Amino acid sequence: MDNSSQPQRLTGGMVDRKQALEFQFNGKSFTGHPGDTLASALLANGQRLVGRSFKYHRPRGIFTSGSEEPNALVQFRSGASHEPNTRATTTELYDGLTATSQNHRGSLNFDLMAVNDYISPMLSAGFYYKTFMWPKAFWEKVYEPIIRNAAGLGRLASEPDPDTYDKGFLHCDVLIIGGGPAGLSAALTAARSGARVILGDEDFEFGGRLLAETYEVDGKLGSEWVANAITELSAMDNVRIMRRTTIYGAYDHGIYGALERKTDHLASSGGKPRQVLWRIYSKRAILCAGSIERSIAFGNNDRPGVMLAGAVRSYVNRWAVTPGKKVAVFTNNDDGWRTAKDLADKGVDVTAIIDTRRDTSFEAPRDTKRVLGAHVVNTTGRLGLQSITLSDGQTILADCLAVSGGWNPNVHLTCHQRGRPVWSDTLAAFTPGSELPTGMIVAGAANGTLTLGQTLREAHEVAATVALDLGHIRSTGSPSTADDEPSAITAFWHVGESRNRAWVDLQNDVTTKDVKQSHQEGFRSVEHLKRYTTLGMATDQGKTANLLGLAIMAECTDQSIADTGTTIFRPPYTPVPIGALGGRARGKDFRPTRLTPSHEWAKAQGAIFIETGAWLRAQWFPKSGETHWRQSVDREVIQTRQSVGVCDVTTLGKIDVQGRDAAEFLNKIYANAFGKLQVGRVRYGLMLREDGIAMDDGTTARMSEHHFVMTTTTANAVPVFRHMEFCRQCLWPDLDVHLISTTEQWAQFAIAGPNSRKLLEHVVDDGVDLSNEAFPFMGCAEITVCGGVRARLFRISFSGELAFEIAVPARYGNSMMDVLMTAGKPYNVVPYGTEALGVMRIEKGHAAGNELSGQTTARDLGMGRMVSKKKDSIGSTLSERPELNRDDGYTLVGFVPVDRSKKLTSGAHFVAKNVAPTTANDQGYMTSVAFSPSLGHSIGLGFIERGADRTGDIVQAVNLLANEAVDVEVVSPHFYDPQGGRLRD
Amino acid sequence: MIINHPLLGPRDAAEFVYLGDAALLNRPDWQASDAAEQFYDYQYLRDNPAGDHRELWYHEQGDRSWLIVARNTLSHEITKVELARDVARARKQAHG
Amino acid sequence: MTELILKSQLPLDGRSLNYPGITIEEITDQSLVSIAVPIDGAAELNAALQSAYGTERPAVGKCTNGSMDNAIFLGLSQDQFFIMFDDAKLNDKGGDPAALIRDSIGHAAYVVDQSDGWVMTRVSGDSCRAALERICPIDLHPAMFSTGNVARTVMEHLATIIVCQAPDTYILLSPRSSANSFLHALDTSAKNVA
Repeated sequence: MDNSSQPQRLTGGMVDRKQALEFQFNGKSFTGHPGDTLASALLANGQRLVGRSFKYHRPRGIFTSGSEEPNALVQFRSGASHEPNTRATTTELYDGLTATSQNHRGSLNFDLMAVNDYISPMLSAGFYYKTFMWPKAFWEKVYEPIIRNAAGLGRLASEPDPDTYDKGFLHCDVLIIGGGPAGLSAALTAARSGARVILGDEDFEFGGRLLAETYEVDGKLGSEWVANAITELSAMDNVRIMRRTTIYGAYDHGIYGALERKTDHLASSGGKPRQVLWRIYSKRAILCAGSIERSIAFGNNDRPGVMLAGAVRSYVNRWAVTPGKKVAVFTNNDDGWRTAKDLADKGVDVTAIIDTRRDTSFEAPRDTKRVLGAHVVNTTGRLGLQSITLSDGQTILADCLAVSGGWNPNVHLTCHQRGRPVWSDTLAAFTPGSELPTGMIVAGAANGTLTLGQTLREAHEVAATVALDLGHIRSTGSPSTADDEPSAITAFWHVGESRNRAWVDLQNDVTTKDVKQSHQEGFRSVEHLKRYTTLGMATDQGKTANLLGLAIMAECTDQSIADTGTTIFRPPYTPVPIGALGGRARGKDFRPTRLTPSHEWAKAQGAIFIETGAWLRAQWFPKSGETHWRQSVDREVIQTRQSVGVCDVTTLGKIDVQGRDAAEFLNKIYANAFGKLQVGRVRYGLMLREDGIAMDDGTTARMSEHHFVMTTTTANAVPVFRHMEFCRQCLWPDLDVHLISTTEQWAQFAIAGPNSRKLLEHVVDDGVDLSNEAFPFMGCAEITVCGGVRARLFRISFSGELAFEIAVPARYGNSMMDVLMTAGKPYNVVPYGTEALGVMRIEKGHAAGNELSGQTTARDLGMGRMVSKKKDSIGSTLSERPELNRDDGYTLVGFVPVDRSKKLTSGAHFVAKNVAPTTANDQGYMTSVAFSPSLGHSIGLGFIERGADRTGDIVQAVNLLANEAVDVEVVSPHFYDPQGGRLRD
Repeated sequence: MIINHPLLGPRDAAEFVYLGDAALLNRPDWQASDAAEQFYDYQYLRDNPAGDHRELWYHEQGDRSWLIVARNTLSHEITKVELARDVARARKQAHG
Repeated sequence: MTELILKSQLPLDGRSLNYPGITIEEITDQSLVSIAVPIDGAAELNAALQSAYGTERPAVGKCTNGSMDNAIFLGLSQDQFFIMFDDAKLNDKGGDPAALIRDSIGHAAYVVDQSDGWVMTRVSGDSCRAALERICPIDLHPAMFSTGNVARTVMEHLATIIVCQAPDTYILLSPRSSANSFLHALDTSAKNVA
């Protein structure tokens, strides 16, 4: 391989040098290898500057080697697939990858917005709150557009996301979160016990810090031990290994959210879901999330080239890349010395190691300056680090500074159920508290066990205990062993003598000064500190910054860090794309579609469909030449009223009620009496809620002594069934009554109009007598049609015409529509949709969903007398409450416009004539309106105070939204055939 | 959340529909002299405890059973799950 | 007497879909009837089932096999279960599956025809569990849900009854009106993993 193209590439590491991957950053071509991240490949090519900071547009580089990265956010891919704020440190390199830097105007090297850096004193904490207060009128037109334009880091793609996403469900005995040394040790132990194990890690390689260090486990190089462990686990069928999978949230009862990135590391998704969002059900979870290094705040500590020490070791050891040619180390703990050693071992020039402690006994590598008890106070280098200045005044050349402020156990998921971490003075860090999410145990560095030998042992012991606890008694063997590395620390947070700005939160450009100012201005609680300064917000949620910020706040308030506390950690651990949360539920896949049995037929007729809940129903059937929906609907109504029409009414809920006590049960759930309904008869029923409000209505037919068939409204089919099960199981558990939905089983059609009987006579088999005498209004029967097909026939009418409803098994539904239309040809039959159905029910004055609104009583609906006082039924007692029976209560009545040419609007409110349309003057409201082709003008139903006594009154129907008022006359709600003669003939 | 169904074992709460306080089982006698008041209490007056709560859940996407779930409203810990029908029957027997 | 003829249609027109390791097919020859157990009638019903089918009613979550018509009893709830059986005897037009069950077990239970209420599918193959994992909240691991287990649950917002008929072979029932959406859910799952 030609190494000249990757000047910073070292030997060794876990990249495949046999294969070269071409990629582009800001339009420039680079080369990397499989195994690289975008960050490691950029560093290999000497590209230190990768972006501009959020507020001050300061040049920024790569700070970490993992998902905690605050700085190296890039725009990933291009066009519709383009994704802003992608962490270069977790982006797996592939051939053809393209990325661009973000948050600058002009080039990355010369950002016009960098002027913000010079006016930084004006942009400190609380800047927005203070600056844009006046003049008030400026907010919307001047300030907000400017802020919106300047705000945010990346830019969203403006085209729809071309990728697909999926979701899924996984189950296991033991979920192991994190596949580093602790996770692998726990996984081996749990898996060997026979437990079902899921092992997930956000990285594309398992091993965690073992890949970044030079440690040995069981006498082998760490990465080799990792490979062996993965080989063993992969061969076990009780283990599921999930790479590129972030367990991002701990939810109730052992449920975890996980995001698996399936194709982000490929040039193309190949038509497969890009990411899968898993819901993992676990009996136990072992959190092995490791630890995250933190920085130290000192002057100009944000320049490209200033990195966390652990990240420097990762780049050197795992990716064989040195982030600099002259590296200095600044540390408050033993970790810094390991960094210097690893770099020196790889032949990198380590110019100095500066330890804030005076009394450390580590030896520096040869040729490395050893400075104890000193600090870095400032740095130089406009677009990248050139030198550092120490507290003793000396200047040291360095193009990379590896900083270690200590390690924070990754307690994030331990806090998702509001658990609070506890402070450890020994570790100078927070460790998991005692209140963990149900079933969670923590092992390894996440638990504050920061050294390798102890981590391996602890994870093994935890896993063995968990396995035993779950009843897996198979021997799990002994743990892998390793040395414990030195890990002493003396807490040190920020360099007080620095005169320059010192960054705490790189992503949000929060400096030590901002934290101090927050304190001065009274925002001292950590939650206030976060909101006031934006410390710990955005994509990284302050993973490398939070503790530093609150340590400084603790100093200001003269409190301990333990007393200062932390902000609450909430899911997700790292950002989850909205696309993944949406999964498949996009466009028409948002929810399922229910089709009526005659859907195919209706579609062939060119029907217009409407969504009613999940159902797709024919709304009307346009004929050629009809240019307005009203023409179709008027025709359907007129033709039905004059002759005969057919409508698919399958969507009405159907509930089969059987049992020795079925009649008694119905008597209890309907407000009106059902006990004495004869076999072969149907009755209208009104259901109340227990509070006395009307819940639903429908018809119930008695097919035999112990067998009833109930219908509900389309919308309430499910809630009514639920309510009936509640009554059956919880209120009257000893009644012998059994329910099952048959909504889907039967295709049901309304055949309405004076010729409906004649039409049906062509369809029913010989011996079925449809005469008024044999089959009167509100009759029902089981019959056969078309030569032996089972059917149920009901003589019920929603239209007010002579009408029947006929049900056949759903398999015949589509054909039945065809048959009815063929049989009706001599009578000029018409199919009608939901609009005509609605018009006819309003003409007839039947209440429907608009009237059964959950606010109206039987009395309001004009059905007060139906509520039987002679029996107990749901809602009967509370329906008698005085407030529901006021003399001035609402009553359902009809309305017609005084000027018949006027159109009525549903939702309009009624006020007396010559009175202002105010709440105080409100007398009621319009619920349903239609143009009545039968009457030739607009009609409406609505509720108005004392409605029953107000026939002939004229009031205004006011629609304030359209600023219109129409004079209407109160009439009977039964506009059409009020005596009901037509339906009884 | 997961509800450990007495017949079916652990099932995701997403399969269930929540109703409310298990006191809804104790529907008053409509013929009691103070029936109106009793029904008023039954319908509207319920405790809203921060802690242990007995509540009704319906396994709509499952076996259609109504359950009484003893759940801590602060921690979501579920300590007991019973078939509401069994509880209702026992109650009827106790009250005659 | 009418000369009009009613044509029967299957919810999915008998469609089947094949992917490497996954087959999705509509079951076209089965009837489905619900059977509810009368209060205090369990013993009588068991006796009737025993004499007609050589089996008792299934426990909740379990299936039992009947001795005729390849019947499978699906234990769905405490007082209600389904029977799924070959509809060969019902091929005559108008044949009533509920009546057939009533003839077999007398009046020991309340029966309701459900044959037209559900789309019946079979999903099978080495990869079928990987596909179902994307939509099924039930743990289908063989140790947890083996042959003869049944569960009623929800997949992609649709009520679904799932039966393990044999290793890597599942029967899935879902409401008829949304059969196309259900097939789409299965199809998408298969495509996403195949």
